[in-house]
Amino acid sequence: MRLLARQPLGVAGAVVVLGLVATALLAPVLAPHGPKEAVFGQFVPPGREFPMGTDNLGRDVLSRVMWGARLSLYVGLVSVLIGVTIGSLWGIFTGYLGGVADVSSQRVIDCVMALPPIILALSLMAAVGSSVNNVILALTILLTPTAARTVRSVALAIAASPYIEAARAAGTSHVRIVLRHILPNCLATYIVLVTTNISYAIVVEASLSFLGVGAPPDEPSWGGMLTAGTQAMETAPWLIFFPGVAISLAVFALNLLGDAIRDIADPRLRGGLG
Amino acid sequence: MKIRHPRCARSTQNWIIAAAAIASLVAVSATSDAQQDKPRYGGVLNWFDYGDPARLDVHAESPLVVQQATAGVYSSLLHKDPDAPTKIAPDLAEHYTVSADGKTYTFHLRKGVKWHDGQPFTATDVKATFDRVLNPDFKSPKCGATLKPLVAGTEVVDPHTFQVRLKAPAPDPFLSAVSSAWCRIAAKHVLDKFGDLNKPEAQIGTGPFKFKRYERGSVIEWEKNKDYFIQGLPYLDGVKQFILVGGPTQLAAAKAGRIMLWDTWPPMGKAQSEELKSARGNEIDVYRWPINTIWIVFLNTKKPPFDNPDMRRAVHLALNRQELITKALDGAGVPCAMLDPKLVGEAALPLAELERTPGCRTGAGKEQDIAEAEKLVKKHYPNGLDIEMAFRQVGNYSDRSQLVAAQLRKIGIRGTLKTHESAAGYAAFGKGDFTLIAAQDRAMDGTDPSDPFSLIWTTQGGSNWGKWSDPKFDEVADRGLKETDKAKRAKLYQDAQRMFLSGAPSAIPVGWVEGWFFADKKVRGYKPSPSAYDNITFMKVWLAP
Repeated sequence: MRLLARQPLGVAGAVVVLGLVATALLAPVLAPHGPKEAVFGQFVPPGREFPMGTDNLGRDVLSRVMWGARLSLYVGLVSVLIGVTIGSLWGIFTGYLGGVADVSSQRVIDCVMALPPIILALSLMAAVGSSVNNVILALTILLTPTAARTVRSVALAIAASPYIEAARAAGTSHVRIVLRHILPNCLATYIVLVTTNISYAIVVEASLSFLGVGAPPDEPSWGGMLTAGTQAMETAPWLIFFPGVAISLAVFALNLLGDAIRDIADPRLRGGLG
Repeated sequence: MKIRHPRCARSTQNWIIAAAAIASLVAVSATSDAQQDKPRYGGVLNWFDYGDPARLDVHAESPLVVQQATAGVYSSLLHKDPDAPTKIAPDLAEHYTVSADGKTYTFHLRKGVKWHDGQPFTATDVKATFDRVLNPDFKSPKCGATLKPLVAGTEVVDPHTFQVRLKAPAPDPFLSAVSSAWCRIAAKHVLDKFGDLNKPEAQIGTGPFKFKRYERGSVIEWEKNKDYFIQGLPYLDGVKQFILVGGPTQLAAAKAGRIMLWDTWPPMGKAQSEELKSARGNEIDVYRWPINTIWIVFLNTKKPPFDNPDMRRAVHLALNRQELITKALDGAGVPCAMLDPKLVGEAALPLAELERTPGCRTGAGKEQDIAEAEKLVKKHYPNGLDIEMAFRQVGNYSDRSQLVAAQLRKIGIRGTLKTHESAAGYAAFGKGDFTLIAAQDRAMDGTDPSDPFSLIWTTQGGSNWGKWSDPKFDEVADRGLKETDKAKRAKLYQDAQRMFLSGAPSAIPVGWVEGWFFADKKVRGYKPSPSAYDNITFMKVWLAP
């Protein structure tokens, strides 16, 4: 209750995210039909039989939106966990080591971050071909440098702390210092990066699928469903409405949750705005 | 003297004035109508290509975008009459004569024709073109594929007379091939200089328009050829083809009035055409039209699993063509037909017979077909199998491929869809770099029944991407090609279709494609042709104010 009083929006976000996760996990049970089952009438408007209508190929939109949650969360979670983990370790080690390793790794990060993210992702997808795993690969490449740079700045501050100097003076090995002292202190930043980047990953996945280079077209991706819907925007508006709402809801809820976790994890913001 | 009542006189006067006014209005309107129907010079026609052609060699390529990019630049010996596109009319050849045995065609060429670079056109250029497409080492999927089985030799009689000797009399297939938009005449000096016709600089023809500019991914432009050999033509100052990839982009351009004509592949769906009608109202004419194009599912016979005839038979049996045509083409098409009766008449299998043929059946018959297909798959892959299903990212191939994948999943073939950029897809398919192509249209050059056989189904077919070969089938198709008796010829083609549909084909016909198109009412002098390749030189097209 205290948490609800302090972070009401965060709790609301968490409830929606839990709902999404439950939908994603239980999609095979909850969805009334298979997401690729194209056996119904085309463009059936939302009604009792098909609460979100059917699409241009005669597939149940509700089932595809439910399975879409599975795909979006899978892509979002896996790519963010891999990307942010690799980036954080990179940032911690180069930040702690400093010198040539740090300078050269920062220039590599500069190069990657100089490219507009969506263009970089599009180029990667064009090079490796469209598949769910390749979307994860592209997102990982996008997320790693950002995470590395953010965590490095935290690691730099920790590395300059007196207790690290004391540990060095006591002859503790670099690996032990990193694992025992720096890494645990970067955990809060890591958690915040994970929660705030999932929504970003979902939007990029949806954008790639919308542009036709994300998940293969028959995979129930919210972005892919939006693209298909644009062909009959006026005659069957439900084809863009429901996946659009799903993307907005997921991103909004994940952002609220991410903000709340950041507020809780950051001591300077503790007790601040809810 | 009878004196009229002043009111009466005034009334009569008013009637006379009114009648004169109506008469003058009618006269003005009639004059205006006459002016509207009188061709006007000037203006630029805007339309679109569904993708980037990349290579422009009309003899070496087969995508429609290559044809669209170059159509107005070149001329042929004969072509489809722009005023009546079902008829063959003279183009660079003023007329031709046929020998008594029907094997020698003599073409009498126009005099005084100049290439766009000012060089004179002669029979040597025609010979160079024929030698090029007939060269056994030169891959010419359209012109070469239709002419090679027919032509025995060629000869320059004099600078303005060219002769072709056929292996056997075959008037319909030969004239259909010679008048094909893919058999354009290229300049010998250009071929000698560039080696091929791929580059924009090599686009030197004798057509009504000169090739002006090709900006990759953006636009292709032609400009008026002021020295065109038909005096007074063309009317337009130029033609602009925007490269618009994807249905939503094409529809948005049409709705915004950015393009004036959509008489090209891919056709619009019914919902799109209705959306366009409500956006443009009376400014446009929307029409439904068959485009002499067949949707094929290609299976690669050189790779597993489709090197196995049982697996090919399973796909043929499982595909529900009626559902595919209904859902992907809004019902606009002829399901399962290898030849469209509307286009080739009696040479096509009667639709009633087709509906009874395994693989093409509906209802309970289809359920039997699917059960049989499932059995065939289980025999070789008890747990089903995963394959890659390719398609080019153009038109509505994505939707079509998803439907094909959904249908094949029912028999245990689980497909992962793989997309290709348009030109890259053609290159991969031509090299046999695929397992299954879920959606690929092949448009015919003419309406002769031999066309799809020469292009797709025979061993030497220019688009026999699956490398399927059946000597018995080839033999029947070849007899059909050379048979001059129409009834016997029709029977041969019907036999070939029965043989094909009862076997294990690799280029599986889904159906003949139709769709919805539009023309801006300002576009005049344009007649849609039975083939998407013809009548897009725009030589007689003009724009009303």
